[in-house]
This record gives sequence, structure tokens and C-alpha cells, in this order.
Amino acid sequence: MKRLIVLLLIALTIVAFAQTFDRSKTVFVGGGMWSPPSNWSPFTPWNAVTGTIGLVYETLFLYDPLTGKFEPWLAESGSWISDSVFQIKLRNGLTWQDGKPLTIDDVLFTFEIAKKHTGINYSPIWNWLERIVKVDERTLNFVFSDPRYHEWGQNLISIAIIPKHVWEGKTQDEILQSANEKPLGSGSYFVETWDSDRNVFKKNPNWWGIKLLGLDPKPERVVVVRILSNNVAIGMLMKGELDWSNFFLPGIPTLRKAYGVHTWYESAPYMLPANTTGIFLNVNKYPLSIPEFRRAMAFAIDTSKIVDRAFERMVTASNPVGIMPIPGFIKYYPEEVAKQFGFKYDPAMANKILDELGFKDVNKDGFREDPNGRPFKLTIQCPYGWTDWMVSIQSIAEDLRKVGLNVEPIYPDASKYNDDLFAGRFDIILNNYPTGVSSTVWSYFNAVFYPAAAESEYSYSGNFGKYKNPEVTELLDQMNRTPLTNEEGIKKVVAKLSEILLKELPFIPLWYNGAWFQASDAVWKAWPSEKNPYAWPISWGGHWQLGGIKVLFGIKSE
Amino acid sequence: MTRKEFIYFILRNKKFVFSFCVLTFLAVLATFGPMLTPYDPLEFASFPYQPPNRDHWLGTNTFGQDLFTQLVYGLRSSLLVGLLGGGLATFIGLSIGFAAGYKGGWLDEFLMMLSNILMVLPTLALLIIIAAYLPYRGVAIQSVIIGFTAWPWTARAVRAQTMTLKTREFVDLARITGCNNLKIIWQEIMPNMMSYVFMVFILQFGGAILAATGLDFIGLGPTRGISLGIMMQQATLWSAIQLGMWWWAITPGAVITLIVASLYIMNTGLDEIFNPRLREL
Amino acid sequence: MVGGVKIIKGVKILQKYLTRKIVVYLLTFFFAVTIDWAIPRFMPGNPINVLVSRFAALPESIKVMQSYFTQAFGLDRPLLEQYTSFWKALFRGDLGISIYLYPQPVLKVILEALPYTIAVLLPAIFVSFMVGNRLGAFVARKKRLDNTALPIFYTLTASPYFWFGILLAWFFGVVLKWFPIAGAYSYLLRRSFSWTFIKSFLYHWILPFSSLVLVMLGGWAIGMRNMIIYELEANYSRYLESCGASQKLIRKYSYRNAILPQVTGLAIQLGTAVAGTLTTEIVFSYPGIGYILMQGILNQDYFLIQGCFLFIVIGVLLANFIVDLFYLILDPRIRKTYTGEV
Repeated sequence: MKRLIVLLLIALTIVAFAQTFDRSKTVFVGGGMWSPPSNWSPFTPWNAVTGTIGLVYETLFLYDPLTGKFEPWLAESGSWISDSVFQIKLRNGLTWQDGKPLTIDDVLFTFEIAKKHTGINYSPIWNWLERIVKVDERTLNFVFSDPRYHEWGQNLISIAIIPKHVWEGKTQDEILQSANEKPLGSGSYFVETWDSDRNVFKKNPNWWGIKLLGLDPKPERVVVVRILSNNVAIGMLMKGELDWSNFFLPGIPTLRKAYGVHTWYESAPYMLPANTTGIFLNVNKYPLSIPEFRRAMAFAIDTSKIVDRAFERMVTASNPVGIMPIPGFIKYYPEEVAKQFGFKYDPAMANKILDELGFKDVNKDGFREDPNGRPFKLTIQCPYGWTDWMVSIQSIAEDLRKVGLNVEPIYPDASKYNDDLFAGRFDIILNNYPTGVSSTVWSYFNAVFYPAAAESEYSYSGNFGKYKNPEVTELLDQMNRTPLTNEEGIKKVVAKLSEILLKELPFIPLWYNGAWFQASDAVWKAWPSEKNPYAWPISWGGHWQLGGIKVLFGIKSE
Repeated sequence: MTRKEFIYFILRNKKFVFSFCVLTFLAVLATFGPMLTPYDPLEFASFPYQPPNRDHWLGTNTFGQDLFTQLVYGLRSSLLVGLLGGGLATFIGLSIGFAAGYKGGWLDEFLMMLSNILMVLPTLALLIIIAAYLPYRGVAIQSVIIGFTAWPWTARAVRAQTMTLKTREFVDLARITGCNNLKIIWQEIMPNMMSYVFMVFILQFGGAILAATGLDFIGLGPTRGISLGIMMQQATLWSAIQLGMWWWAITPGAVITLIVASLYIMNTGLDEIFNPRLREL
Repeated sequence: MVGGVKIIKGVKILQKYLTRKIVVYLLTFFFAVTIDWAIPRFMPGNPINVLVSRFAALPESIKVMQSYFTQAFGLDRPLLEQYTSFWKALFRGDLGISIYLYPQPVLKVILEALPYTIAVLLPAIFVSFMVGNRLGAFVARKKRLDNTALPIFYTLTASPYFWFGILLAWFFGVVLKWFPIAGAYSYLLRRSFSWTFIKSFLYHWILPFSSLVLVMLGGWAIGMRNMIIYELEANYSRYLESCGASQKLIRKYSYRNAILPQVTGLAIQLGTAVAGTLTTEIVFSYPGIGYILMQGILNQDYFLIQGCFLFIVIGVLLANFIVDLFYLILDPRIRKTYTGEV
């Protein structure tokens, strides 16, 4: 009996203490984490918990798509001091989360480690980066053998600076196969705890930015929640249990009116654009191999119907070139070229082109046959279960059938779809993987034309229809090697590339998929919006450096 | 039991009459329903978010597709899956169950091994693989998959029943009189399990419909056409209930429940008809 | 003395029977595991492709990653070699590294998620089995009760689970706001051994648990009701009745006989249900193994699929083995067919 009492007492003491986070200082974020937290490594960002880079680890620069400008972050400044030398100056007074100073040697180490270990994803920069020279304790000169200005810009906002004293002496496998469960970065938050359905970030009270930037992260804790379906997310938003949501949610007008859900714009399209969605055409398959034929298709598709039906006007139709309306991109938009070679929804024009090409309905089955009188059939595909896209390709197929092209929508499972996409085994395919927001419009054209795709068996980076044109390769290289400051030069190249795109159309841009963002005012207020555009409102992996982090400095709770 | 008596009992059995009427109505709807509607199930027929009205009897969904049209077409494929998938599962399950239970020994072990292996097959992965090698995944494929993976419990249950029955006197008697095995199974064991066989088929029928719905929900439904499960999946994905579209969220599920419940009720009803002892007192 | 010989003989036969069973189960295990190893590898594409598709990066980075991870996972080696090294690793207790949840070991992933699944599933299965069978046995042959209870059972068992679950979650979670609709415990807590945590856990657990119980209940109840009626009308019951045995006693015997097939069903459900909790997890955004397994399959994570199915295979086989033993004890008629004793 005595023993029992003792045991009970012990049990009670163990049981006594539990910490409950203060709701008014905790922000719940959803939409960026779909799998249980498994990895916090800056070297495997594709599988790391969202925020690993951005909240815990930091980059030298941020890029704000809302302004189209690079913003120095760990770096105090950075510029090209000659054609082939990029100089960065590190801020003074940076610290790691363990209190040790973040020095120029850490930055140097971050790059040098990728020279030694070629399995690290950014190691290819050493093909065009010659050496890094330490000028003084705060300055580095990056000396390039082949300055690729645009790619370098992307690297500056995606390579996370890592502490030398933690990673030094590790082998390649140790580095790449580590889950890094206690990540040590320089950022405003560190990982406090996690479970299968959440990851809790806690504010770093000694973050360098509080003093150096005067920015104060408002939430004491950022809880990234893993929600497995949209309708649960909607329910939580309605109840005020989810503060910051980056899910694709239907019925935004209803949510706004009845539940006061906050979005970027107050009326359609409600959402900012995040990438260009369109169809890649297999240019090696007859009759898609005929550029004029592809052009006819572009005239036949009524994007507004897709915008209305599949997306309830949460997206906007694309311009003919597909350059997103974000400041960094749209400033290069070739107005003249678009006017001259562009297309718009005009089925009569599509019919005319097809008639002229000799595609006529000879056997009166309602579909056109090729000039030799042979019938043909094309398929258009998107992954099964992506309902908005499924409805979209139904609509596209319907439009194409209206001009007499026998096109059938098919919905393979995602794994088959990916395989078909990468291997170029399709007729027409809807996709947007490589065409997202970035610091340079070069990435859009590289995605559409990616030259290596034509040669290799698999392409992961665009040009899935395997379009081949040496002129394009040259123009892309030329653009990559045109300094970002030379806007006129870039504009010229963009115009040339756009002209080729519009004439050849290996990719037909259709609409801009949205940067889905809904927020609840239940606990946190002052969310970014069109009227108060202080931050890019997205918490997906890779978007914190695009300004997602700044949301945490701007929101307020009572 | 004469035919007259049989009909009399059938008509007297409320359970059977009720479920028969419901199922007939649904079957008629599935067969002729598509003629009643001018739309195609995937067509953008009209404005979205419409509650039931004169033009759209069951309203429209987010895309403006007509839900009545989807329902009648969906009903068709759901009933078909039930019939094909459930039938196949019953057939396989019965054959294997009888064989294993009656023969016993190594055959029994082998067949049970087979059923155990089948129970742990990753149906999901199998569906994806099959889909990858076929141009599309239709209702028939879905039925075959369900049929081939749903039989183990039937086999096990039938086997257990056969094992108990085969030790009963009348079977011993038949064996002594020199009947061959098939004949014993067919004439002695089967009739004694008739109600059980019925129950099995009807459970499998309903089970197949539910299984298909489950597959549809996780995104492995027929990649062509529409089914009740796909309707429900879409209603879920587009948060129909949250956005107040009860006509989209509730209808397909209610119809499935109605079909499957009627099947089960019919089963009980038939049971009572065939076994006078079970009739309500 | 004669009795002793008989017992020894019986033990020997039993031994033989058990050896045979064990051999068969080992064979089953081998084949099942082999098939489950092979199936994902027949899927189109490969896991590295899926991984790459989730990663927006510069083309050159993608290429580097692709080649490194193909090598690191040994996916560039011949299939036979991959197969033998799989068994070798298995005997060391190594299930490999998950690709989808890189770089977590598969075993760890499973052990993290399994407790949640078990916490919801096991109680739900047992409660529904106990309550369902009792209810079914209780209402059988009771006219008015039967007529009101039966339609409820039918509706419960006939409704598609996810539909039912979503309606429940919506009604109790969002409309009435009685229960939370997501997570295993409050997002404001850390996992700890405290009353606050336990309360929060139970509070989040009730809805998924009871939804499962409700849908499973109907099936057991109907099955039992039908079985009981059969047994009540069987000759032995009639005989007992004519001997003047009490209704209670007859029902007791009927229940004992009727429970047999139900137990078979239970065992099978126990084995496979782990993978079947997927819907609960999606509907209530509850952690568990079902969703992870499905994502493993969709992401073609060979190692994770293998690992999960290893657990499922073991579960199903154990359950079946136990049922086999159970039958041996419970049903003397079956004992006869194996041992010949009366």
C-alpha cells in the first residue's frame, strides 16, 4: 500500500507540469507542410520543413517580388565591381543562435564546401565561379570565370549560410544524409519541437536583426501545422484556428463575406500570381511539330472560361508571352512583339490557320484530318485528382474540338504524369513546375526553352516538349551573361526570345496560378494586402526568402 | 415450397418489398436517367452554386455542372462496380472457401496462404501500376481489382462454415453412400449455407460499392467518366459542405447509403423467405 | 494408462499440426514480402523523379541532386542485387531510409506514426466489436426492438465512411464547435506527460474514435443478429428448448456458436486495418500511418512501402495464426478434423 502511494505521488509529480503556449503570441501557419517533419537540413531543402531556410538559416539576400528588388540580408551590400567580380560586404554584428559570431569565414565555408563535395546541390556554380577572395574581415570577392549574372542572383537568395563550427570536418554523406534535427542557424526563429502533425518554431530573442535591422518578429511561436485536406483548412479558418493559410481554397467570396477571411485583393482575383501555367506541346509529334498548327491551337483556347469555372476568378489569364505581372518580370514585357505576334481567343482565326494548312474534315466525322486525309487524335493530360486542372483541360479539349481538333483529356496518376512529363512522352501536357516566381525573368525563358532537354532522355527543368533551336540557346546564354543593371540589354534579348516563343509556341501560356493566401483576423491582424503590401504572403518552402519572413514582422495581435 | 407460396412469402416480407422497390427504382434511374437530362455529366451546363431548381433538379456545383446528370451517370457506374466486383469476389471466395474447407490438408494451407498474401497486397500501388499500363482506368478495371482483393474474408468465413458442416451427420452419410466431393459440396453443404451465400454476395455487392467509393475518394477512381464516389470526392475537395452547398455534399453519399442499406435489408429479407424458421413470428 | 497414451498421441498430433502451420506461415511471409518488395518497383518512373518534381531549383542543381540520390539509395544497381541486400538489411533489423521523409529511417517513421493509429484504431475495433455483437444478439428475435434497431445498423454500415466522417466533423466541429477538427492534441501544447496534455489528447481523439466505432458497429450488429437467429433455429436449440432449458441458456449457447465467424472477421480486420485508417486521418487531419503509407506509394518511396507492408504482413499473419489456435480451442468439431479424436 505504501509503495502504491509513493508510486502515485511520483506519477502525480511527473504529471504536474505542462506548458501551454500563449495563443495571442502564437501564429498558426498552414499550407506549406504536407508530410510529417523529417528534416531541417539546409542541404536538402526539397524535403526540409518549410522555414528551415528563411526562419532558421538565412541567405545573403532576399528578393521581394512585390518590388522586384534584391534586399541585403546577411550581406550589408553586394555589387559587381567589375564584369567578373561580385563583391559582398557582410553585416557587422551577426551572430549564430548559439551566440558565436557569424563571420566571413562562415560565408566562405558555405561556398567552399560545395567545391569539395560535388553532391551538394549548388556545387555546379564552381563550373563558372573561379575563386573567392577574402578581402578583409567583412568583404569577399567572388571571381567568376564565366559570370552568369542571373543564375548568381538566384543562388544568392537560395544558398543558406551555414556555421563552419558545426559542419566542418563532416563527410559528404554525413552532410547530405543528416536530418539535422537540432538545426543551428542565424535566423529569427529556431526549432523548438515537432510532432507528426506540427513543427514549432520559437523566437530567437537574440536575433541580430532586432538590433541591426530594427525588425522585431512579433509571434513568440510560429506553429506550422500539417493539415491533410482543404476542407479541414477551411473549417479551421472559419473557426479562427488557422491564422495564415496558403492552401488552394474554393469559395473565396463566401469565405470573405460570411467569415471575414482576409485575402490580398479585396475583389477578384483575390490572389497574387505565383507561376505561369500553360501547356507544353510535344514538338516531335506530327502534327504538333508544325509551328502554325501550334499557333492555331493557341487561338482556339478560351482561357477566360477556365478562369471563371475552374478557378472562380482567383487567377488571371496570362498575356501571350506568359511573363508574370510582377515588377521584376513585367518591366521587360515586349509590348511591340506581343502585339505583332501574339494571340488571343479567336476560334475563327484558328479555323482559318488550320484551313490554310490543309487540315480539313474530309470524312465528315466532325474532326479535321491532316492534309493527306489521315485522321489523327491527340491527348492532353494533367494529374488525376488535381481537380482544378482536370476541369481546365476538359475545357481546353472542348475548345480544341470546337475548331475540329480531336483532342481527348486524360488523367494519369501523378507518378505516371511526372514520368511522362520528364520523359517527354505526351502530346499536350498542362504544367507549371519550372515557371515560378524568381529573381529573374531569365528563369521563365529557361524553363520554357531549357536547351538541354532536347538532347537528354529526361528533363526536369522545363522544355518538356523538347523544342530545339540553337538560336534560343545562344540568347539564353547571352541573357544570363547580361548584368541585371543593363535593363535595356535584357529587354532586347527578352524581345527576341518572346518573338521566338510566340512564333514557335512549344509552350502556350494560359494563366497565372495563384499565390494562395487567406488569413484570419481572429488573433492576428494587419496582414499584408494590396493596400498594405509589406510582404509576399507565402509560407511555402523557398518563399520565406521572397519576403514571406517579413509577414512575421508586420502582423499584430492584441 | 410451391411457386405460389414463394410469391406469397415474398410479397408478405416487408423488408424484401421495400428494398426491392428502392433498388428497382435506382436501377431504372441509372438505366433511363441519362435520357431525362440534356446535359453531359462533365459539361459546364449552367451557372455555378445553384441550389436545386426546375432546370437543375439537384442543383449545380462549383463548375456549373449539373448534379442530377452526374448522379444518374454515377449511379450507373456504382451499380456496375457492385455487380461486377461483388460478383467476382463472391465467386472466388466461395470456390476457394469450399475447396479449402472441404478438402483440408495441404490444399487448405495453400489456399489460405494465397488469401493471406492477397490481403496484404498494396491495392493502391497495384492500381497505379495497372493504370500506368492501360490508357485509362475504367469501371471494369476497378471492379476486377476489387473482386480480386475482396474475396479473402469470404473464403475464410465459408471455409470455417464448411469445416463445421462437413463433420455433421448428413455429410458423413453422403460420404458413406459414395457421393463424390463436388456433389457433396453442391448438394449437401451448399443448400445448408444458402442463406450464408446470399448474405455473402449481397455483402460483397454493397462492399464493392463502398470500396469503389473509398478508392474514388483517395483519388484512384475511374479516370474517365463519373461515379458517385468521384462526386463525393469533388464535393470534399471543393469544400461543398463548408460553403453551404448541401445539395452537392449530401446527395451522393445519401444515395450510396440508400443503395447499400437496401442491399443489406434485401439480404435479410431473402434470408427470411428462404428459411421459414427465420420468419418473423 | 490408455488415457496417457492418448494424450501423448494428441500432443504429437498437435505438434505436427503446429509445425505445419508455422512452415506455411513462414512461406506466406516470404512470398508476401517478396511481392510487396517487387510491386512498387513496377510502377512507372522512379522515386527520384518524384522527389525532383517537388523541388524548384536551378537546372544544374537538380541534375546534381538526381545523380547523388540515385546512387545513395542504390537505385542504379541491378534489381537482384537490390533484392538480396534488402533481405540482408532486414535481418539486421534495418528497413532502410525513407525517400519521401528523407533522411529519416523507415523504422523510426513507422514507430512515430503507429501509436496514433493504434490509439484510435484498436479501441474503436474492440469497442465496436463488443458493443456491436452484444447489440446484435440482444435485438435478435425481439420484434419491435429489431424493427427499430435494424434500420439504424443498416444506415451506419452502409454509409461511406469519409462522407459520414466529414458530416460529423462539420456538425460537431464547426457548427456546434464542441470538438476540434484537426491535430492529435492542441497546437498550443508540446507532447508531455501531464494532465493538460492527456486531456487535450483525449479531446482531439473522441471524434475520430467515435466516428470509427459508429460505422463499424452496424456491421457487427447485423452479422450477429443474423447468426443468432440461425443458431436459435438450429436443431440443437430446438432440442434444448424441448428439454426445457431456459431461453437465457439457449441464447448463451447460440452466442458462443455465432461468435465464431465474427472472430474470423475481427482477426482479418485487425491485420489490415492499419492501412485502412487513411480516411480517418484525412477527414480529421489526424496523424497516423495510413496517410504516410499512401504518400509513400504516391511518391514511390520503395523503402517506406516495404517497411509499412512488412508490419502489415506480420500483423495479418499473427492475427490469422491466433485465429487458427482460437478455433482449435473453441470449436471441438474442428479439433476432430485435425486430430481425429472425438
